[in-house]
This record gives sequence, C-alpha cells and structure tokens, in this order.
Amino acid sequence: MCYSCIVQRLVYRYALLTRLAHWFGAIAVAVLISSGLQIFNAAPYLDAADRSTPARRVLSIDSPADGVGRTTVFGRSFTTTGVLGWGSDGTGGEGARAFPGWLTIPAYQDLADGRRWHFFFAWVASLAWVAWLLSSAIKGTLAEMILRPSDLRKLWPMQAYYLRLRREPPPHGTYNPLQKAAYTFVLFVLAPLIVLTGLALSPGIDAIAHPLTVLFGGRQFARLWHFVGMLLFVGFALVHIFQVVTQGFLNQMRSMISGWYRLREHESVGP
Amino acid sequence: MKRRLFIASSIAAALAGCAPIGTALNDNPGFHHFLGLEGSLDAALMGNLPGLAREYSLADISKHFPVDSLPTPMTSTYQSLLEHEFRNYTLTVVGAVERPLRLSLAQLQRMPQQSQITRHDCVEGWSAIGAWSGVPLHRILQMARPRRDARYAIFRCMDSDDQGTPYYESLDMAQAYQPQTILALQLNGEPIRPDHGAPVRLRVPTQLGYKSAKWVREIEVLGSFSHLYGGKGGYWEDQGYEWYAGI
Repeated sequence: MCYSCIVQRLVYRYALLTRLAHWFGAIAVAVLISSGLQIFNAAPYLDAADRSTPARRVLSIDSPADGVGRTTVFGRSFTTTGVLGWGSDGTGGEGARAFPGWLTIPAYQDLADGRRWHFFFAWVASLAWVAWLLSSAIKGTLAEMILRPSDLRKLWPMQAYYLRLRREPPPHGTYNPLQKAAYTFVLFVLAPLIVLTGLALSPGIDAIAHPLTVLFGGRQFARLWHFVGMLLFVGFALVHIFQVVTQGFLNQMRSMISGWYRLREHESVGP
Repeated sequence: MKRRLFIASSIAAALAGCAPIGTALNDNPGFHHFLGLEGSLDAALMGNLPGLAREYSLADISKHFPVDSLPTPMTSTYQSLLEHEFRNYTLTVVGAVERPLRLSLAQLQRMPQQSQITRHDCVEGWSAIGAWSGVPLHRILQMARPRRDARYAIFRCMDSDDQGTPYYESLDMAQAYQPQTILALQLNGEPIRPDHGAPVRLRVPTQLGYKSAKWVREIEVLGSFSHLYGGKGGYWEDQGYEWYAGI
C-alpha cells in the first residue's frame, strides 16, 4: 500500500453545487416538515373537499379529554396519547396538541412563526431544487438519473438482487434502475406536487390560477395532498438515510461534504 | 458495534436538535426579522395581482360557517346598537379624503349591493363558503374621494381583546379597490349575525380571513400605518402574521 494507491482510489463524485444543493435542500426540507406540522396543528384535520367538510374527513388528531390523544384515520380512531393529540407543548409541559413540541418549529404553539419558517424555507428548498436541476441538465449528468422505459424491466431484477434472490445486478449505467426510479419520482413528481399543492392553498394564488386549486379538488383537498406529499417525502428520506448508513456511512458523508468518495474494490465510479 | 452506535447517536442527535435549534433561532429577534422579510417579498410579488376569487354556486354554501375571531363585543356601545337593531350605527370615513362621510346602516343598505358566493380561507387552515352581499368598498371610497397622499384604508373595529387592544386591519388602495372587496351587510341572505360581525363586516375574498375584519365602525384613509398600535397594519399583523395575507 502506497500513498499514491490510496489517492488513486478516491474519486471526485459530487460537484460543489450538487453538495450545496443537497445540504441546503436537506436542511430546508427538515424545517419545512417541522414548521409544516406546526401549521397543521392550528387545524389538525384533513378533508377530501374544497371547503372544510367534517363528513369527508380523512385524518384528524385531537384530544377528547385531558391527558388523552386520539388520531382518527378514515373513521377509525386510535389512542395516541403522548405523541399525537396529547403531548409535549414545547414549553416543558404537556397539553392538547396534534403533533408534539419536539417535532415542530418553533417547539411551542405559534402559527404565525411556523408560517414564517415555512414560507422562507420553501424558497430555499425550491431554489436548491431548481439550481441543481438546471446545472445537472446543462452538464448532462441529469440524463443518467432519469428513469427510461427500457429501465422498467430491470426494476424487479435489481430488487431481486437487493433481496439476495439474484447474484448479479442487471447491467446499468451510473445509477441502477431503482435509484433512477426513486430520483425521478422525487425530483419530477413529488417535488412539483408538494410545491403546486402548497401554492393551491393560497387564496391569492387561487385568485390568479383557479385551475390549479380545482385540479387538486379544492383548497382543503390540496392541503390533504400537501400532507400526503410530505409523508411520501419522509418515506423517501428514511430509505435514503438507511442506505447511507448501511453503505459506508462515513465514506458517503465525506463524499457529500468534500466531494471525494473512496472506491471499494470492484466498485464502479458512480454512486 | 461502536461505529453503529456512533452513527445511530449522531442521527438521533441531528433529529433531536432540529426543534430546539429552530426554537432558539425563532426567539432571536434578528433571525426572526430576517425570516419575516419573505412576507415583504410576497407582498411585492403578489400583493396587487389582478385575479378574482373563485365564485361558487348556491349548492356549495357551507351549512356551518365557523366563528373564529375575538369575541363579539360586549361593550355598552355595541350592546345598545344591537338592541336598537343598528338604527344608530354610523360608518365614518375619515382621514386623507376630500369628503369625509357618515353613513347610516339604512344608507348603506340603499346603495347598490354586490353579491358573491366565495370561499373564506382561515389562516388556521379551514375554509367555508358563504353568500355575502354588501356595498363594494370602491363605491364608498369613490364617494369620499381619497386625496393623492392616500395609500392605505384602515378599518377600525368595535371588538378588542382581553388586554383592551382593539381590532383593526388595513388594505392598500389597490386591494381596497379590488372589485370583490365589499363591506358585507348580509351572509346567506340574512343580515350578518352579531358573531359574524354585525352590522358591517369587511370581506376580502382574495386574502386570508383575518383581513375580513368584523364589526367595522370606521374607515380611515392614511399615507402610512406605522404609527398605529404595533405598526404592522393590523391586529394579527402586530402579532407576527403577514400584512399581505394572500398566502
């Protein structure tokens, strides 16, 4: 083992703009989720309708009695005391609160401030998304992340490989077909869905773009889709973090911080 | 094993750190102000867009229209107005106008009325659809003839909170002249109920509900609102909500 051998096995995998966009985006999304839960707490229910309609309530989180938290999903109630409906009030005590203080920004109940954080970081996340999308489209690296029709038949073989039902992954480029599916879904379906349903909630946007709010089924429905979009994003983030943790955590973290990734034996250049 | 513990604890620390760090930053006045700059950007980008709020049909009207505001005024002035069915009510229009006005409820009722079935979007997240009718605000302003230095219409209301701070709101002149901005006298075909803001409630369907001030008693036309109360142009604005409430 010599110094140059080690150097040769490091590859510069992430450009500066990619790393900046990733971390600005990650922080912004974390803030958006916790300030979004703060905003949700002000009216802790979701209706599949244009206006508030209790008969079409899909989710509600409330406290039917002191010390009891209740979550109702599609008409089925669960006791969720301590976490949902009744829990930390963010000032050291407990109280009736849909999402608990340790999940919201700010920790205590404050709709006005939750909105400040949410709208500020909505710009940060959107700008990080657009800047990264534009730069990688210009560089040509975006194309290798997009799922193509020819990738569809490779999705199961790739999953089978991960499940150890198959020895070798199907042949693929820099990104494997499952990675392509996940990135394509998040970048081109989920992110626009979350942005557009958020805009559809705004009475000012509704006034200049009625079809947008109508498309999602109205204002309360848009609020429901916005929440579902958040849940899907949380799902993506959990899988993403799981993979980072299990696929060489420190190496992965270093590459997203400094750009340099250490190749393991027989590993190709791509992530 | 140590490595796993390190990874797990660093992720747990990152997650657990979010709310306290966010809360600490939120309590920092400088950072709080910085976050609020986004509201000014929204006002500049969207504050005077020409759109109209969507109009609905009779079938869409909410059966139950929530009441979510400061409590109905219990002052002797308001209770006396209520007892006499608002026959003694006057709406005054003062400030930077060439012709200050005093209008009785009967005079307001005799003016041409505009009806709209529009959705009321509360900042908390709920919405309700109602049929509102009343006098378009631009008609009243045209009668009063704002002077050239007029920039804002301030709405002074009869309700106040338990600290005695009165409710007020403000619109810039373009928002005040928006064709759907009305001084509503009726909700769903009946005179507005006391808890919905009787006898006169501002209705601004292109912005969130807190702009639609209840129990309006006076419209003051001004060049600036920075000297009023908290200086942010409204009761809720003084408590941190955005002045432009279209988001």
